[in-house]
Amino acid sequence: MKIGWQVGSVCFFALFAFGVWLSLLLPLSDALGPGPGFFPLWLGLIGGVLSVTLFVQVTRQPAGAAGEERLTPDRPAIQRILAVLVLLAAAALVLDPLGFRLTSFFFTALLLPALGVRSLPIIAVFAAASGFGVFHVFYYWLKVPLPIGVFGI
Amino acid sequence: MDTLHFLLNGFAAAATPANLTFALIGCVLGTLIGVLPGLGPAAGTAILIPITFKLDPTGAIIMLSAIYYGAMYGGTITSVLLNVPGEAASVITCIDGFQMAKQGRGGTALGIAAIGSFIGGTFSTVALVVVATPLSVLALKFGPPEFFALMLFGLCLVTGLAGRSLVAGILMTAVGLLIAMVGIDPVRGAPRFTFGIPDLYDGVGFIPVVMGLFGVAEILITAERPYKEVIKTSLAHLFPSADEWRRSIGAIVRGTGIGFFLGLIPGVGAIIPTFISYIAEKRVSKTPERFGNGAIEGVAGPETANNAYANASMVPLLTLGIPSSPTIAVLMGAFIVNGLQPGPFLFHERPELVWAIIASFFIGNVMLLILNLPLVGLWAKILEVPWQYVCVGTLLFCILGAYSINQSVFDVWLMMIFGIVGYVLRKLDFPMAPAILGLILGPQLEKSLRTSLEMSAGDFMIFLTRPITAALLLLSITVLVVSAFQLTPSQIRQASDE
Repeated sequence: MKIGWQVGSVCFFALFAFGVWLSLLLPLSDALGPGPGFFPLWLGLIGGVLSVTLFVQVTRQPAGAAGEERLTPDRPAIQRILAVLVLLAAAALVLDPLGFRLTSFFFTALLLPALGVRSLPIIAVFAAASGFGVFHVFYYWLKVPLPIGVFGI
Repeated sequence: MDTLHFLLNGFAAAATPANLTFALIGCVLGTLIGVLPGLGPAAGTAILIPITFKLDPTGAIIMLSAIYYGAMYGGTITSVLLNVPGEAASVITCIDGFQMAKQGRGGTALGIAAIGSFIGGTFSTVALVVVATPLSVLALKFGPPEFFALMLFGLCLVTGLAGRSLVAGILMTAVGLLIAMVGIDPVRGAPRFTFGIPDLYDGVGFIPVVMGLFGVAEILITAERPYKEVIKTSLAHLFPSADEWRRSIGAIVRGTGIGFFLGLIPGVGAIIPTFISYIAEKRVSKTPERFGNGAIEGVAGPETANNAYANASMVPLLTLGIPSSPTIAVLMGAFIVNGLQPGPFLFHERPELVWAIIASFFIGNVMLLILNLPLVGLWAKILEVPWQYVCVGTLLFCILGAYSINQSVFDVWLMMIFGIVGYVLRKLDFPMAPAILGLILGPQLEKSLRTSLEMSAGDFMIFLTRPITAALLLLSITVLVVSAFQLTPSQIRQASDE
């Protein structure tokens, strides 16, 4: 946990440093008062100081003081997490070209087995309901605009 | 007299068949969200915003508010039957609620929680009616410096009470504020931090961020550690015995007071009132050793405080435009999606809408009581849905919700990125609430600061020469100083264990 907080504070420092750099490219003031760069510049500076403070605080703590929980998941858990993320990314990639119905159908059909569901009929029914049922309810009943893909589905 | 007149008009608007249906749907969906572990009220409310796209603003906000307080009750069911809180405010209910379930008194625990929630929610709404108008009139006298100081005060409270490290809390607030800087500059209208990406001109979408930080991150946590089996307990006796009633009445009265008064303070969050209520019950009890072993007061007090808080926390949102918690921030986002800016102006420009929403709280509380007492067995059955289906369903709704806000795949990517960030931050135990509030309050905070400085020709003394502003800034500093020595929720829990 301690190393996690240290890495976290370094990442935050980098984020705020980037914010300060971007703010300096914007006008800090104009004829009327503070400009677009004014607030983010101060925010970046304050955030940078806080990141350093947090890093120092965590570094000075004895090992284990920031929490004892193990950070890295076990192998099956990593596989499940990766499956979720890969399929989410794939869904974002194909959502516009394939449309919502096919995307959610395949998303469900692939994610359920990846999470440990083995019954094919259940996967098929759930995937069909996710793809076509959800689309019907939201698109036709609730009038929520959802993408229709190149196949017109 | 005006208040009563507005409230009656509000009831007339809220009691139309359409709005009653929206409230009912909201209560059912909210309870469902609360019941399903891995789907908290913030993510649940955000995910369900698309359902309300085609509704009129009144119906949309009524439904989303009902989802919010429905979820607050629903979380109790998992706390009692699963020993897993459906949402953060139900953490304390696990202690005695789960013990009651193990003793075969699960039905009574859920029954007293429903009754306490109803009483706390209803009294809290009555008090809301009383204080809302004077507070909104006072807020109308606020200028940009006062609003800046007020928002800063709210952020300081959230930061101070958020977690175990004050520095981490302030840092997360700054992260939220920095992300809020992306988009068109609210004062001059110039693009800022957009990197030439048109999707960023409107800023980083609040709803995809919340869905990512709370929804996707929670699913990743569940995928890592799937939740447990439901405990088999008797749900036959929902109504407490005479002795249990005697023990619960005082807890319900105290819980109502604690929940309401803490709900009025922007930034307190839903967890603190429940913990304070639990500690209060343990302190006043003549047999404190029963706590942790199935004491009914340990369920009645916190659950009442939870729902009293839920309704009272609408006061700062409706009258001042300040959200008290991430879920209220999502509700504020829903107001904005519907073209409404919560705050004193909304109270005076659209009274019919605000009072219809307030009236719907009364109706929603009755609906929740009716839904939850007879249907508790059904909700318990829903808990048996395998976690894989909940995960897939939630992710699907996240994709749908993120996409449909702007019909943009960019928002789906944004949600996914913030999901990964949220997962890592959750694992590291960084507080998330300050970042969310920073994100939603960022544009207004910056606008009020810069407008104030324009008013004073760049002189920062404007914040010290106006009494309300100076007082609020002093309070903000006090909160931060006190927070360094305060009792955080984990410390309070430790105290209650002792």
